[in-house]
Amino acid sequence: MSEIAAEETTAKELAGSRVWRGLKEVLPAIALSAAILILWEAFIRIFDVATFVLPAPSAIVVSLIKNRASLAVATQATAFEIFFGFVLAAIVGVMVALLIVRFERFGRALYPLIVLFQNVPKVALAPIFILWFGFELTPKILLIVVIAFFPVTIDMLAGLQSVEPSFVSLMRSVGASKNKIMLRVRIPHSLPHLMAGLKVAITFSVIGAIVGEFAGANRGLGYVIQFASTQLDTPLIFAALLVVSALGLAFYYVVEFAERLLVPWAPKYDPIQLNG
Amino acid sequence: MNVTAAKSLGPQSIAAAAMKQTQPAHIAATNVAVDFIVSGRRQRVLHDVNLAVPKGSFVSLIGPSGCGKSTLLKVMAGLIEPSQGDIRVAGIRPQEAVKSRLIGLVFQDATLLPWKNAIENAAFLLMTADETMKKSDAMDRAAEKLRLVGLTGAEKKMPSQLSGGMRQRVAIARALALDPEVLLMDEPFGALDAITREEMSECLLDIWERTGKTVVLVTHSIDEAVLLSREVHVMGTGPARIIETLPITVPHPRNEESYSDPAFTAAESRLRSLLIESHRRTR
Repeated sequence: MSEIAAEETTAKELAGSRVWRGLKEVLPAIALSAAILILWEAFIRIFDVATFVLPAPSAIVVSLIKNRASLAVATQATAFEIFFGFVLAAIVGVMVALLIVRFERFGRALYPLIVLFQNVPKVALAPIFILWFGFELTPKILLIVVIAFFPVTIDMLAGLQSVEPSFVSLMRSVGASKNKIMLRVRIPHSLPHLMAGLKVAITFSVIGAIVGEFAGANRGLGYVIQFASTQLDTPLIFAALLVVSALGLAFYYVVEFAERLLVPWAPKYDPIQLNG
Repeated sequence: MNVTAAKSLGPQSIAAAAMKQTQPAHIAATNVAVDFIVSGRRQRVLHDVNLAVPKGSFVSLIGPSGCGKSTLLKVMAGLIEPSQGDIRVAGIRPQEAVKSRLIGLVFQDATLLPWKNAIENAAFLLMTADETMKKSDAMDRAAEKLRLVGLTGAEKKMPSQLSGGMRQRVAIARALALDPEVLLMDEPFGALDAITREEMSECLLDIWERTGKTVVLVTHSIDEAVLLSREVHVMGTGPARIIETLPITVPHPRNEESYSDPAFTAAESRLRSLLIESHRRTR
């Protein structure tokens, strides 16, 4: 009886320590954010900075609450663009990588062009896409694709190459064709790399959506930001930026969650503490 | 089975000749040479190799780096086409032998698929080789081979949960699951620590005695070569070739006590001096 009780307490203590450990991990970030916000608020109040130049955090929150309905509608529109743009960018990125390795000569021709294209400033493409495809969804999604497919392709290519050559020999030794090796070994091997590429791509997708909306739109958070700037409604600009960031963060963690689900064997690492 | 080879204690050339006459070699290399194109220049990486491995025998290839032992193994596996000469495994070309699943391969790295557990890894090549085989049959065969390599109970473990030695055991089980006649191993224990290495040697010896497969082992370890082999081919560089073939007469069954057998120590010191000599020539 007493033994069971003792075990229970240890279990409780363990759970408690896990919560505590989780808390300890996020505590520094919360503390730093709070410090920055307090300093910011104090700075605005002490020096009496005009709201249209730089609003205090409290003013941003007020604007956020006041405009919550229109911000919600804008968020929905932008989230839609990000989602479809990202999915399409992922598909295009993977397809391009597969085509490059499947048709070697074609790959040799295409790869430098892709790298060249990556160095074209995509922001400059936005007006052209608007010119070609109008103000609706198409130019935004297209812009996201051209911005976000590159890290997917590059990481997928690295992943396809990450198979040990001796394992390829092994597959060849049982008469496996190139396609079979690709399907059974190379593609699954590339998944951890692909997920890393997708994590970069999702953040690029958020940028792509906002840039697309800047260039010409009648809805979305980018449109709200631009509209607010013409009205000198700086608190609303910041409120919209806050929502964009939160949206990007949410999308990022969805991809990371998908990674844990789909690629449980991917190496887990702490991005901050150096290994070894 | 291979009485002639064991009895012929005379000069190695006579032993080899006797072997050739009494039974057809399971693996036969005749004047095999391999050229690689290295930065536009033709380079001979293997020079005029003649080799006959009797069925059911265990032979080792030993020599300094760059002596072509791995290349020779890859030629036997059909992964490299010889530039000259002829290579036969069970009387046919290696590429054909591979198709008939006569050859099992084990490399230095276990190269297990990280998303599959031990038994799925052990069954993977078999299922790749034979599409028509039922999954349950392949799994049964894999389980049996895992038992043979001493991994019962670890079937469901993921590669990341296995030690280096255990991973290599899975790799051996994966090769054995094909039920090949020939097992070609390229420094299979090269990445393991000394004690695990010895354990694996004994495991391999046990497998060989039980299954009677023809085994060709590429190794850096003199102890390993002597303990396991019927015959050791010492290879040298400049040009890369076989410089001597040494029959190992340590009596079977072999085990830890074999290390102190006079035949063992004699073979060991002979191999050591051959290797030192060939190393010197390399420099």
